[in-house]
Amino acid sequence: MDTPAAQWRVPEVRLLGSTLTAGAAMPFLALLVVGIVFPLFGGGYWGLIATRACVYWVLVSGLNLIVGFAGQIAIGWVALLTLGAYTTSVLAAGNAMPALPPFAALAIAAVAGGLFGLIIGLPALRLRTFYFAITTLGFATIVTQVALAWQSVTGGGVGVAGPIFPQPFSSQWGFYYLCFGAAAICTWMTANVAASRFGRALTAIRDAEVAAEASGISKPGLLTTVFVFSGALAAVAGGLFASLQSYITPDAFTLDLSVLFFIAILIGGRGSILGPLLGTILLTVLPEFAAPLVAWSTFLYAVLLLVIVLAVPGGIAELLDFKNRRPLESHRAIVPRPELLHRLVGTAPDAGALTLERVALNFGGVRAIDGLDLEIRSGQVHGLIGPNGSGKTTTLNVISGYYAQQSGSVRLNGAALPVLARHRRAHVRIARTFQTPRIVGSASVLQNVMIGGTIDGRATFAEAMLSLPRHRRDEAMLHDAAMLALATVGLERLASVRADRLQHSELRFIEIARALMLRPAFLLLDEPAAGLSAEEIGRLGALLVAIARAGTGLLVVEHHPDLIFDICHHITVLNLGKMLAAGTPAEIRSHREVVNAYLGG
Amino acid sequence: MPILAGEPLLLAAGLSAGYGKIAVLHGVDLKVDAGEVVALLGPNGAGKTTLLRALSGLLPWTGSLRFAGRELAGATPRDTVKAGLAHVIEGHRVFTQLTVLDNLLLAAYDLPRGDRAVRVAEVLELFPEIAAKNHESAASLSGGQQQILAVAQGLVRRPRLLMLDEPSAGLSPVLVDRVLVVVQRLRDSGTAVLLVEQLIQKALALADRVYALARGSIVLEAETSEPDLPLRLEQAYLPIAGRLPHIGASLPPG
Amino acid sequence: MVESIVSTGVAIGCVYALIGITYNVMFSASRVFSFTAGTLGMLGGVLGALFIGHMGVPVALGFLLVLVAGAVFGIVTEIVAVRPVLRSLDQHLYVLSTLALALIVQQFTAIEWGTDARPFPRLFDLARGAFDQQFWLPMLACAAVIVGLELLYRYTLVGRAFLAIAEDTYAARALGLPERRLRMASYALAGAIGALAGFAGGEMLLAFFGNAPLLTFYGFVPVALGGMGSNRGAVVAGLLLGLFQQASNFLVGGIFASVAVFSVFIIVLLVRPEGLAGTSLQRRV
Repeated sequence: MDTPAAQWRVPEVRLLGSTLTAGAAMPFLALLVVGIVFPLFGGGYWGLIATRACVYWVLVSGLNLIVGFAGQIAIGWVALLTLGAYTTSVLAAGNAMPALPPFAALAIAAVAGGLFGLIIGLPALRLRTFYFAITTLGFATIVTQVALAWQSVTGGGVGVAGPIFPQPFSSQWGFYYLCFGAAAICTWMTANVAASRFGRALTAIRDAEVAAEASGISKPGLLTTVFVFSGALAAVAGGLFASLQSYITPDAFTLDLSVLFFIAILIGGRGSILGPLLGTILLTVLPEFAAPLVAWSTFLYAVLLLVIVLAVPGGIAELLDFKNRRPLESHRAIVPRPELLHRLVGTAPDAGALTLERVALNFGGVRAIDGLDLEIRSGQVHGLIGPNGSGKTTTLNVISGYYAQQSGSVRLNGAALPVLARHRRAHVRIARTFQTPRIVGSASVLQNVMIGGTIDGRATFAEAMLSLPRHRRDEAMLHDAAMLALATVGLERLASVRADRLQHSELRFIEIARALMLRPAFLLLDEPAAGLSAEEIGRLGALLVAIARAGTGLLVVEHHPDLIFDICHHITVLNLGKMLAAGTPAEIRSHREVVNAYLGG
Repeated sequence: MPILAGEPLLLAAGLSAGYGKIAVLHGVDLKVDAGEVVALLGPNGAGKTTLLRALSGLLPWTGSLRFAGRELAGATPRDTVKAGLAHVIEGHRVFTQLTVLDNLLLAAYDLPRGDRAVRVAEVLELFPEIAAKNHESAASLSGGQQQILAVAQGLVRRPRLLMLDEPSAGLSPVLVDRVLVVVQRLRDSGTAVLLVEQLIQKALALADRVYALARGSIVLEAETSEPDLPLRLEQAYLPIAGRLPHIGASLPPG
Repeated sequence: MVESIVSTGVAIGCVYALIGITYNVMFSASRVFSFTAGTLGMLGGVLGALFIGHMGVPVALGFLLVLVAGAVFGIVTEIVAVRPVLRSLDQHLYVLSTLALALIVQQFTAIEWGTDARPFPRLFDLARGAFDQQFWLPMLACAAVIVGLELLYRYTLVGRAFLAIAEDTYAARALGLPERRLRMASYALAGAIGALAGFAGGEMLLAFFGNAPLLTFYGFVPVALGGMGSNRGAVVAGLLLGLFQQASNFLVGGIFASVAVFSVFIIVLLVRPEGLAGTSLQRRV
């Protein structure tokens, strides 16, 4: 079917169920081939290095979701490597209880890793960035000290032997293929997650948290899942590491290792799978090229990190992003196509109303909103205007659940909306845009818009990770809906461009496209015209009118009288938190007090 | 630095500025002569605060800017203060952890120690209500008193041009008049004032000339003695409905 | 025995408090925390041992050199790791840049000075006693810094300028205060304080590169518990931390003492993320 969306599909490759563009798949395929044939060319020593790189990548691939995608600064992840290594070794050696087969020990280590990943990760939900980074450092130190002290189980300073996996994995190359296989599977799984609504939601939490919440993304749930997954992977890596080392002691798990993992991700670039993969290989292999480098390795990693942060924050991924080096056309016009709306939002929802009844809110000693009544009806555009400090944006924030009113209620079709439940608003189809566009700069325009439809996905994290059919259906559905939304606002030609290359006005329309993904019953817009040219304001107005005609109720908070008087059915004027006047545009325009408040007479 | 006869004290031409990607000012032309009071009016979001920030060097700008005969390209707020341009920012932000006296001394930071005390004493004479609270912390002042302290800070360096960003915001009418009397006295003593205000009538009563800023550009420039000024201002800000392109019969009625 | 716990606990608590103050002074000037605070403490010990113990420099001169080195490293932190990222829109780059800088210095020290803990010279030729110089030196240093800062803030214009920048950077800039220079000076001051902490605690902690991660963590606990930016909170929390740590050491042994400290830290933070004395921040949309 020749839908507008279908026209824009780029040639794709199906790789074990994942869908990648031909260009993106190449590097992975190349690495896969190199890895498979490597034993034919590499000697014993390089085999060890390659095995180590694979083991490290098993851990880093999981940590990548936490650091690169969710943006959490988890520096002490070596704690989980330590945990996995000791758990696997101790269970396989039979120190604490009858010996278990190595793979069973590994599985149990994975479970323990998941649990501890959760424990280490939970503080991230409550603590600021720097505080969380420090706590992970503390964890790493504690785990190493416990390993040292718990002599009866871990052998203390003497250490314990690593597990030996059964044939055919006990030989050097057999073990190499085991680790390589694990690394390949981890690459596949995390790439699937990255290309799923979960991966996009993680980047939204990292770069545009308020927008993520407004799209219905629940930070605690998602972060918990990712910490458990990553913890399990790290523990598996630990078990493999113990086997590789043959014998482990606490001083094998230095903070230097944690630094290596962390820096590999940052050098590789956040939000990428290929980047950190190359980064891990680079950092594992680099010290091997010259003997003195080994001692200086952590020093070099730190220098690399500093250079990356100051010069190329996007890391290797940014350097490899040739697609986004191509210049964009300089005079781009935004031409919305409102006629596409009916395809996007379907038939008009039943008429309803979003009402505020005697809402009041104080900030410190100031009455920000002072007993406000407001009614937004489906299919109508309601304007909210007033001087600076009148409470317009505050009102919008109360409706969308970011602030809690101290008295009065906000009702949707009569039912009171829960206060401060900003991530639940999307579920009742209340969408919003922001005063300053909140987008994920390093993601493409299309990915940004797809974030708006996150809650419409049906596949679970596990299904996404394994690229099962339901996940693929989700992705196709979200992709098509997002392209349609972009076509509606007139920006489909920029779908694959990195969002931070766009002009301010284009970002505003992208926010609207993202909001439309919810097929909203009510759409709240916070100063949508700020920074737009007169021409663009006209097009915005036409689009908003069309959205209302399709059945959505709109609340537009604005300064620009042009827009307000032209498109609104009703206008409420606020001054100092109170309603000064309410009525049709004609009534307001000639209302003396309003004019004075506006001009400040 | 002496200026040539007839050259304005402040001359901005084609001034553009913004915040990151958001362009706010689009080629603003503005001038202030020595000793005159100029009012800068306009609706919210027009760019008045942005303009003052560009003039004093708080924001980067493009275009051309001359003050007291010198080009101000690349000047920081420290440079502009030294040149004689003082900016009293919006929101009566004073340092509440310090005393009134300390707040004023900090305004004199770059002056030699001896001069500091003299200048501060000078300014305190102008504002007896805060002089009385000299050694109290600025936190104990009322909003209006804090605003007066902020204006006093601006005056410590004896500026040739004082820029005030909505000094009346949040003040009672009595205190508003108090501040505006100060503006009057400044004009009488030869200090030029660029006044951003929401209270149009009061600003017009005080000013020699007025600029109206809307959507980042100057839409009106006039002497305050000209007739019909309030009406012209209103027309500049609040357009008649239906002026936008692309919106026609599909509009809701009214 | 109790005497020993108290004197060691208070002494080490003073070192932690001083590192906390280092964090706070940097934070007041730039609104970011820097990973280099703990590394400064480490440098104070290592450089002290290097100058006085190794190179035979007289104690007073060696002390001065250590303070200067700390100030220099503080300024380097500001120029290299803080200033470039303050301008960026990505708020959290400062964590990475200061971490990188701290690691660079730590690793360099590990390679050049060695990875073993080496002894710190005895500064004053006094007999060892119960209330030994290794205990009262850190206490003296802590008291001196607290009094010094108080005098700085109250009696010098520079000190009051620091307070102004800490409260409202934008207003300070608009007023014409030399914001950049003041920030560099704050970082220099913080650097000297951090180095002083390591120097005064040198005999207890030894000259050891591994003190860096230790002090990074234990020096931050007073900040987190005492409230960010609050020096008084840092001192109180630091002393409590030191005492708690020594008491746990005595009661349950070293390893479990660390676990105990860490657990208390995490629990307090989870219950009150702003610390025991801090105020909760309001959300901005």
